[in-house]
Amino acid sequence: MLGKLMKYEWKATWKLLLSANILTVVMTVLARCMVSLMDQVGHSDFRMVDFMAVMVLFTYVGSMFAVCIGTTIYLIHRFYTSTYGDQGYLLHTLPVDTHHIIIAKVLVSAAWVTINIVFIYLSVIFLLATSSEILHSMMEGMVDVIEYLGAEKISLFTVIMTMIAFIFSIFARVLKVGACISLGQLSSNHKLMLSFAWYVGIYVVEQMFQGVYFAIMVYVQEKAAYRSYRSYGSYFDNQWETTLLAAILSCVAYYLLTWYVMDKKLNLD
Amino acid sequence: MAPVVQCMGLTKTYGRKIALNQVNLNLERGRIIGLLGPNGSGKTTLIKIMNGLLEPTAGEVLINGQRPGVDTKLRISYLPERTYLQPGMKVLELVRYFQDFYPDFRVDRALDMLARLQIPPQERLKNLSKGTKEKVQLIMVMSRDADLYILDEPIAGVDPAARDYILHTIVNNYNRCGSILLSTHLISDVENILDEVVFIKYGSIVLHAGAEQIRQNERKSVDRFFREVFAC
Repeated sequence: MLGKLMKYEWKATWKLLLSANILTVVMTVLARCMVSLMDQVGHSDFRMVDFMAVMVLFTYVGSMFAVCIGTTIYLIHRFYTSTYGDQGYLLHTLPVDTHHIIIAKVLVSAAWVTINIVFIYLSVIFLLATSSEILHSMMEGMVDVIEYLGAEKISLFTVIMTMIAFIFSIFARVLKVGACISLGQLSSNHKLMLSFAWYVGIYVVEQMFQGVYFAIMVYVQEKAAYRSYRSYGSYFDNQWETTLLAAILSCVAYYLLTWYVMDKKLNLD
Repeated sequence: MAPVVQCMGLTKTYGRKIALNQVNLNLERGRIIGLLGPNGSGKTTLIKIMNGLLEPTAGEVLINGQRPGVDTKLRISYLPERTYLQPGMKVLELVRYFQDFYPDFRVDRALDMLARLQIPPQERLKNLSKGTKEKVQLIMVMSRDADLYILDEPIAGVDPAARDYILHTIVNNYNRCGSILLSTHLISDVENILDEVVFIKYGSIVLHAGAEQIRQNERKSVDRFFREVFAC
């Protein structure tokens, strides 16, 4: 049943979200054309090209934000209406396990968020890297920045683990929204407002934990640097471990919260 | 054989408000049962608990001897009082959706009913009128061979001609080994098809009897009797 749920979740979302990503591509091509045109024209007094380039680039940046925010809002709306809105009456009377419902929604939402991010990253690279030299310089620049912050070496393993931690972070973000919407359903009134309040509350608690963690890390690194002359910023070497652990713990906690409300405290009124 | 529905001390409260109060009810198989009561009497709350859409505050409900869950959802065909369809779906996609999830769904029966009503399978649900959407929803629900059909206010808000069609569809398409629990406050329209009636008032069952039994004992129609019981 998980496969069928995923199939219908995908069918319900693909048209709008694919259109949003196609918009990203179109805007990227337009912006790139504008950059190329500016290169060809050079620094002449041809003001119209400058004006058009500014307008296109401004629209490009705006559309990137719109696609990001729009995708997030649409996925939140979709989760709410299909799970706790009128469509929830059909979803929750299907002979399927609650785990399958949650997994299907999370996998499809996380897939769209990931596609969205990949499209935007590729778009920025395509826009800026007008030659292989520039692309190479960009990569080198990124490595320089990370090393400047104190990382001693960047291995392929670190890169892969960082990407895995990043993907888990996406799952954690999606599940956090699902958990907050679900927690809001525990009340008979003002469910959406309560969901938002839960989100803000959880966000504040997360920030507090993060603050305490960084304070401890800075203290530990300070001691280590004093003893072994290591860089203050060398804790970036193993940053992926902390990110991955935090993301996995968040995923488990938010998943269990969502499951508990959906399975044990469903309240479609 | 165990009753298809068993409610034992079923209670549901919303804050201080009591929606269901110690409901004890057994519903047998092969019957068409009217769940009758005025607005706000607890009909929909009882139905939602049977479908696992609400958790009771106290007590228990068993469907085929099991608590609401995946197994009971396989055997219940539920028509809610609202439209639960995805607007972007086509009618035919909805048929496939039901076919994918319910093993007892009969595609030929659904397509036949759609054809009789001249509802184009390729039409998107958002393009259909409210009444047609309700009919599509009813067709999906009645195209299953379920043990229990739970229909929440299926004739509320539709014109008399549509009511006739809906009742005709219900009576002619349900699984004869199963039961129908039909909630309504429009008694006169459904009286003739009911085997049993359950009167619910302020969240409590005030009467559970055969429709014919009421007509014989009270010497009046169920509708007339209902008006007396629920007189303001």
